[in-house]
Amino acid sequence: MKALTLGAFALALALPLVGHAADYAVQPAQSKLGFTSNFQGTAFDGSFAKWTAAISYDPANPATDKFDVTVDLASVHTGDKDRDGALPGADFFNTAKFPQAHFVTTGFRKNGTQVIADGNLTLRGVTKPVSLTVVFAPAGAGATLDVSGTVKRLDFGVGSGDYADTSVIGADVKINAHLVLAAK
Amino acid sequence: MSLRSDEHRWGAAAKLFHWLTALLIITAGTIGLLMGDMQPSMNKISVFALHKSIGLTVLALFALRLLWRLIDRRPRDQPEPRWQQLAAHATHGVLYLLIAAIPLSGWLFNSLHGYPLQWFKLFNVPALADKNEAAGDVALAVHETLFWTLVAVLVLHVGAALKHHLLDRDNVLRRMLPFGRLRHVPPNSASPPTVRPEGESR
Repeated sequence: MKALTLGAFALALALPLVGHAADYAVQPAQSKLGFTSNFQGTAFDGSFAKWTAAISYDPANPATDKFDVTVDLASVHTGDKDRDGALPGADFFNTAKFPQAHFVTTGFRKNGTQVIADGNLTLRGVTKPVSLTVVFAPAGAGATLDVSGTVKRLDFGVGSGDYADTSVIGADVKINAHLVLAAK
Repeated sequence: MSLRSDEHRWGAAAKLFHWLTALLIITAGTIGLLMGDMQPSMNKISVFALHKSIGLTVLALFALRLLWRLIDRRPRDQPEPRWQQLAAHATHGVLYLLIAAIPLSGWLFNSLHGYPLQWFKLFNVPALADKNEAAGDVALAVHETLFWTLVAVLVLHVGAALKHHLLDRDNVLRRMLPFGRLRHVPPNSASPPTVRPEGESR
């Protein structure tokens, strides 16, 4: 009995040391999952209207941090109806077969003063490692989270066949997400 | 062949502007007529890009041509009824207006629809206006109407040139042909001075 009490006490002491990242709820109305690409030498911005993200983040405990993001690819908007009509098609996202993209972190590390989230992106049936730069700023009870990184579209076969020509459609797609988080 | 025009014939520069513009207009016009029916594809994107690049080239050539016209003389009018001379000048004036207005209206349409504009993938050309699709549709209608106006005016232009060449058998077309030799006009006609272009004595 005494040993058990001691054990429980030790566990209680140890818990804050192990710690666990804070869970946050994304505030969709104020948050944005966007990207920038390039067509015929001109940058264009796009964003997804429908996506969900489970965010666990504590700058002091990177080992337990985790992002898990699911994107409804058909909800893409780029400000051009021709392009918005083409992107869900078989040559690009192929949403009929792969309606969602999924990103889940595998670990966090520091690169100088930057925080890098390493993870796997699954898009169009292909899973590849993608690293994103994370800027976390506590704000009251919640926080804001700005995430950026670059994805090579052809790694995932986005724009296949003739559309693979990167002199017309840029190879790099810059991801930029701004998340407003509320403490759970 | 002199770069400059003289009293009797167009110079090499004027001929180059004329025939290059003609070739580019025929090419851009043919592409323009066919490209709208293409299925969405990378090929369609490339064909549209080619149409736009050629159109920009026509516009740039037109600007250079105007500058050249400022310092170049033009050959004397052929002896023909005054109304024909006036009609020829009026037709040329309208052609110049259309050569400028058709690419410009296409550029405006492109801008109003928010499409990028590149010259043969080499550099980007700025938009003439902010995106406004309703106005863009008007610009497209103008672009197409001006094109068909051009076709009609070209029928007059080419028809008149052929009439001079085949019926009047004068130098109106010859003096613009890339390697054309001027015809000797019979001395008994109420004629311009006859010409012996270099090389004709062989």
